Amino acid sequence: MQRKIMEIVAGFLVILATVGVIGGSLLYEDRLNREVKTIELLAEAPERGNWNPPVINLTKGEPVRIKIRNIDTVSHGFTIPELGIGLAGAAEIKPGQVATIDFVPQRTGTFKYMCTAWCSAQHMQMTGKIIISEN
Amino acid sequence: MTEKILGLIPVDWRFELTSLPYIRKIIKSRWMPFLPIVLNLSVFTVILMAGYVGGVSTGNYNFGIMFVWIVWWLLLMMVMVPFFSRIWCMVCPLPAFGEWLQRLGFTGVRNKLFGLNRKWPKSLKNMWLVNFLFLGTTYTTGFLTTRPIATFILLMSIIIGSIALMIVFEKRNFCKYIGCPVGGFLGLYSNMAVTEIRARDPQICKDHKHKDCVIGNEKGHSCPWMILPFDIGRNTYCGMCLECFKTCPYDNMAINLRPPATDLLVDKNRGLDEAWKAFIMLGIAIFFFLIMQGNNGLLKDWANAKTTEGYLTFVGLHSIFNLLLIPGVFLVFVYASRALGSKEIQLKKLFTNFSYTLVPLGLIAWIAFSFGLLFPNSSYVLHVLSDPFAWGWDLFGTAKFPWTPFLTGVMPYFQIGTLLFGLVLSLDIGFKISKQTFQNRDQAVRGFIPIAAFLTVTTIFLIWLFTG
Repeated sequence: MQRKIMEIVAGFLVILATVGVIGGSLLYEDRLNREVKTIELLAEAPERGNWNPPVINLTKGEPVRIKIRNIDTVSHGFTIPELGIGLAGAAEIKPGQVATIDFVPQRTGTFKYMCTAWCSAQHMQMTGKIIISEN
Repeated sequence: MTEKILGLIPVDWRFELTSLPYIRKIIKSRWMPFLPIVLNLSVFTVILMAGYVGGVSTGNYNFGIMFVWIVWWLLLMMVMVPFFSRIWCMVCPLPAFGEWLQRLGFTGVRNKLFGLNRKWPKSLKNMWLVNFLFLGTTYTTGFLTTRPIATFILLMSIIIGSIALMIVFEKRNFCKYIGCPVGGFLGLYSNMAVTEIRARDPQICKDHKHKDCVIGNEKGHSCPWMILPFDIGRNTYCGMCLECFKTCPYDNMAINLRPPATDLLVDKNRGLDEAWKAFIMLGIAIFFFLIMQGNNGLLKDWANAKTTEGYLTFVGLHSIFNLLLIPGVFLVFVYASRALGSKEIQLKKLFTNFSYTLVPLGLIAWIAFSFGLLFPNSSYVLHVLSDPFAWGWDLFGTAKFPWTPFLTGVMPYFQIGTLLFGLVLSLDIGFKISKQTFQNRDQAVRGFIPIAAFLTVTTIFLIWLFTG
């Protein structure tokens, strides 16, 4: 009987160490993303794919979090000059790193976002569009 | 008179760590080593997940890469192997699924294992296969240490491969002979460890005819590593699974503290497979340094497969260097040793025996190499702990911790000191092996001169390479 209970506890621990860890991580991430509308933006130099998605649609007055993931082998930066939004601190997202920007769009229109680190010969083409519309 | 390691500690000195009752009680529990395996499994789940979601991005901000190739590797080379022998095999979660399937349970005892339980061919019961497997794995080092998905693929291949092969072959043949890339060097380098599992009193084992440790009983499995726990001569193939502690009706197994490198003096079961493992490990330490920490951009590009020709050149050079060049140069020195010592000794025996002098040198070279990972790179660990999947988390408030190399100014002194210690230990062990191999002390002294020269020149080369 004791051995049976031991097996059940052991099985539970194995599930916890595998399914539990994966499920817990996904739930935690989901909870964080549910707090505010989150958009994942992948950063790569233009010759390797450029920003993805190239166009981001937002709604005026709705808080948004842009999660910029640098999947490249060189550093990138991020700014939306017309809205005065950019990365704080060193303003550089190193390869493999993720940077997060939270803001509330206050103006409607189409705005350019771009990389601020000289990342490649085609750095100047590393741009995308943010379209902010009325609710 | 008993010989002493480095002239300080008698070779046969032992202190039994399991003489402490609570340690013995823990070791005899069927929760051991299950609980550390499960704890380790949860870390590996995070590693696998980070590898999978990390994709092909660069790896220094990836939990999988940082924990496998920095944290694990450093712990393995600097702590686990030299101090605790094959303790990694005790807690390794990768073959656990295969073993649980064989046993159809987690902690229970079932000596009739599930699966085909095929025997591993006798001709392959050596390190040759894992020598080539490890060498083959190092061909991908350019990807493994930079691309999270490559680490994911490697680890998943080991898990799936272990399940498949453990259904076919009995017990831990997978870990011992077939599928674990690091199993070979863990075995060889564990001969250096300052701990061992041995029978407390060999006479008790001799008098006990019913070898429970070999055939198993209701308290524990028969030795999963298929060795004879009552007659462990060297640490090489003891995976420290602790089953023999559970099965022994006389409580006659012990974990001992001992002087380092004593297993290298055991003149039994030495072989060319282990000799080549020693060459390969030394060669890979040199190549890894050039690829990871060296300043030769061309070689790095080759290893990273920037071009197919470059990659094939890297594979070719790497293989020739490890499999032929180092053994070839060593053979020249062994030939000189035979000429100076005694021509009555077989060249093959001399070559094999003296190759074990490269084990202390090799392990110490890896420790010196690892300083080059530890001091410049370990600050990344704080970042990935807080944000393991690069999802922008900050679990412990360290996600923004910048890359902060530390002690890099004194790193060369650590490396030089370590390598010099390795040389002294290699010379000490080497001379003892020489005395074992040659017929008298005069021959041993003369015969050891070329080997001592080889060890010294190699150490000087490593010091120049790592710190020059």
